[in-house]
Amino acid sequence: MKTSRRRTLAGIGAVAASSALPRFAIAQADDRPSITIAVQQNTNTNTLTPLREQSNVGARMIYSFLEPLIDAKHQADLSPQPGLATQWRRVDDKTLDLKVRSGVKFHNGDTMTVEDVLFSFGPEHMFGNPDPKKQSGTMFATQPGAAGKEAPPEVQAIARRLWPKLARVEIVDKETVRFVNGVPDVTLEGRIGRFGSEIVSRRALLEAPDWLTWARRPVGTGPYRIAEFKPDTHLVLEAFDDYWGGRPPAKQIKFTVVPEVSSRVNGLLSGQYDFACDIPPDQIAVIEKSPRHHVVGGTITNHRLICFDKNHPQLADARIRRAMALAIDRKLIVDTLWGGRTAIPRGLQWEYYGRMFLADWPQPAYDPDQAAKLVKEAGYKGEPIPFRVLNNYYTNQVPTAQILTEMWRAVGLNVRIQMKENWQQIFEKNEPRAVRDWSNSAPFGDPVSSIVNQHGPSGQQQQVGEWTNPEFNKLSDELESSTDMDRRRAVFRRMLQIAEVEDPAFTVLHQNVIFYGKRKTIDWKPSALQYMDFRARNFRAVST
Amino acid sequence: MIRYLSTKSLRALLTIIFVVTFAFAILRLSGDPALLIMSADAPPEAIEAFRRAWGLDQPIWEQYLRYFLNIFEGTLGRSMRDGRPALDLVLERVPQTLAITVPAFLVKLAIGIPAGIYAALHRNSFGDRALMVASVAGHAVPSFVLGLILVLIFAVRLNWLPSGGSDTWRHAILPVVTLGAAGAAVIARFTRSAMLEVLGQPYVRAAMAKGVPWHRVVWRHALPNAAIPTVTVIGFMVGTLIAGAVVVESVFSWPGVGRMLVVAVANRDLAIVQCILLLVAACMVTANFTVDLLYGWIDPRLRTSGGSNRST
Repeated sequence: MKTSRRRTLAGIGAVAASSALPRFAIAQADDRPSITIAVQQNTNTNTLTPLREQSNVGARMIYSFLEPLIDAKHQADLSPQPGLATQWRRVDDKTLDLKVRSGVKFHNGDTMTVEDVLFSFGPEHMFGNPDPKKQSGTMFATQPGAAGKEAPPEVQAIARRLWPKLARVEIVDKETVRFVNGVPDVTLEGRIGRFGSEIVSRRALLEAPDWLTWARRPVGTGPYRIAEFKPDTHLVLEAFDDYWGGRPPAKQIKFTVVPEVSSRVNGLLSGQYDFACDIPPDQIAVIEKSPRHHVVGGTITNHRLICFDKNHPQLADARIRRAMALAIDRKLIVDTLWGGRTAIPRGLQWEYYGRMFLADWPQPAYDPDQAAKLVKEAGYKGEPIPFRVLNNYYTNQVPTAQILTEMWRAVGLNVRIQMKENWQQIFEKNEPRAVRDWSNSAPFGDPVSSIVNQHGPSGQQQQVGEWTNPEFNKLSDELESSTDMDRRRAVFRRMLQIAEVEDPAFTVLHQNVIFYGKRKTIDWKPSALQYMDFRARNFRAVST
Repeated sequence: MIRYLSTKSLRALLTIIFVVTFAFAILRLSGDPALLIMSADAPPEAIEAFRRAWGLDQPIWEQYLRYFLNIFEGTLGRSMRDGRPALDLVLERVPQTLAITVPAFLVKLAIGIPAGIYAALHRNSFGDRALMVASVAGHAVPSFVLGLILVLIFAVRLNWLPSGGSDTWRHAILPVVTLGAAGAAVIARFTRSAMLEVLGQPYVRAAMAKGVPWHRVVWRHALPNAAIPTVTVIGFMVGTLIAGAVVVESVFSWPGVGRMLVVAVANRDLAIVQCILLLVAACMVTANFTVDLLYGWIDPRLRTSGGSNRST
């Protein structure tokens, strides 16, 4: 072939152009924003598996890299929607078949199979070896140097709590798995979709050198994969372009730990962070003064409560507990401390219970006259009633306690705040206990997830010996195992009647809310389950 | 000298044992790590399992004994939150803290000593008064207030510097300035006082009467004699290099030893707290010991007259 200077130059130009084009295309492909989110804390337990990190702070990050079989409509009513399962079908009261989505890739490149689903609900990942004598040394053993593949005992305990009666998970065919419960259970779908039931890569866990190493970098199917995790410092996620749900809209997400609220707000306003989480109500005005930022958020599936210890000499009389509930002007608290940004719930329930939501159940009444009458009838003589309070563990906790104390004083109750440093001191039995703060979540849309799990025979309130009621406990068992929806509604109604009115175990104060400060140029909506969703359906940055 | 060193070492060892025992008692008696790490909402059986796994269900004296055995074996225990050896976790954070405390220390010296000398040599002048006002302000304003003011000015208003984090060298500027300002103020005040005291001594007047040039009087006669109180303060600052930035690290989200200490105390993660306290105690003891030795070098008279009495 004859060559010339012109042809050679043209050839060089073509080569240069051809090498430049793909680079340009890659540059275009990577032209996605990287976002930084300032959070108060990234994990409590320094791990990223929901079976140990059962916290709100963990939930908001973990949904980006681990996913359940049944997802929820996070930006709507939290009703179920296909996740890693495309459809599901009830076989009977105890059995549910799920068709597993095909073509889903794990972050390590493996294709998700029904074996991975089986493994995710198996002993290696969840329940451990049932025989304690055969358990290997765990990473969290007391003896230095002990390390093992088996999950630590607290993980197994959490898994058993999430799945108390799960008999087995079996493979029906290459695309179908079957969940078989030991007893009839209408909440199987909810449990499959709840935080803690995510699908993990079998190979990744089996090939990890030890459980802790895996727990800091679990391999899932979410739109982002873990790039770097430094507990108490940051978690960096990077886009997983093989995500089954389409290309993730952000190139990188960094959850950076900024413990001080003023530092989070300043970082947001200075443009260093795109989001600032855990914003207290008194900082909303500060952020909204900025023309480039605003605050989003709303009620979450968590209610603030006041709990009673009916063993206290004065609170043993249910009339005193009823009086305490009636004396609370909840609207005043919501308006003054929360700027009207939250709501008073209709008891310990949420609308996403669907058919189990009792729409006619009233909000707790405010009736100080009736409260004063009950106090008088009970023969109360002004004996001190201790109210154990933590220093703003919950947002606005201390001012709420001060307001409540005055409201109770107004109806003749001598309630005294006792500031405590931690939960151990709250539950301490050495001195009389009477009143304390709490909040209850509903991780799936059924009352079993709240009133049974938290106030039933195995719930915290009965476990710490504050309250019990034989009829309530019988109804708890029935609510868990009954499949007759009308009967379940009646049972739930009666349980609310007992625990909130007749023999009060608690009284609800208000719905909890969470606020995020963010750039206005980002389209993003929060979830009531506190998951931060950065999938294409919920994230769009107009400019960075 | 050997006796002197032995006495010092024994005293240091006793101090460390006292610190470790005190911290153990306070942390164990004031909170249950299982409830704090697993959270109060965790299933009771999970909390019990955690307690069993970590021996928190054992009598307190047994836990204490086990902890002490770990120290003597050199392991310093494992973090209950993390599962990894406490020493490894703490040592991972030390460079981060030194990255701000060492430059801040140099800032303190570079500003504090010249400012103190200048103020002493120009006593009652406008410059002296201005420096001392700045010094009192630097000393009196808490570091978290100064830090937030600097963030508001340089990060939020001017947008020149990041408000927090540790990604680049620019992130270190505000923490270093915050730490440096307070320390420089302290050094300036000590240096000024010491210099004023020395400048009034007969040997300074004698040197001036002999016609020795002023700068030589200051450099050769006043400064070395004024150095001892300043060195004492500086020695104390060296001792706080490892964990002296607790508040500043929190304000600027700097992932150093100070922030680790706050989180560990909040979670009653004893092994981490003890490990940091041991490091701090060791630093303090070493710094004090070095200062003692420096006294002898700075003032030869102290070598023969019980220099240890001057230590802090």
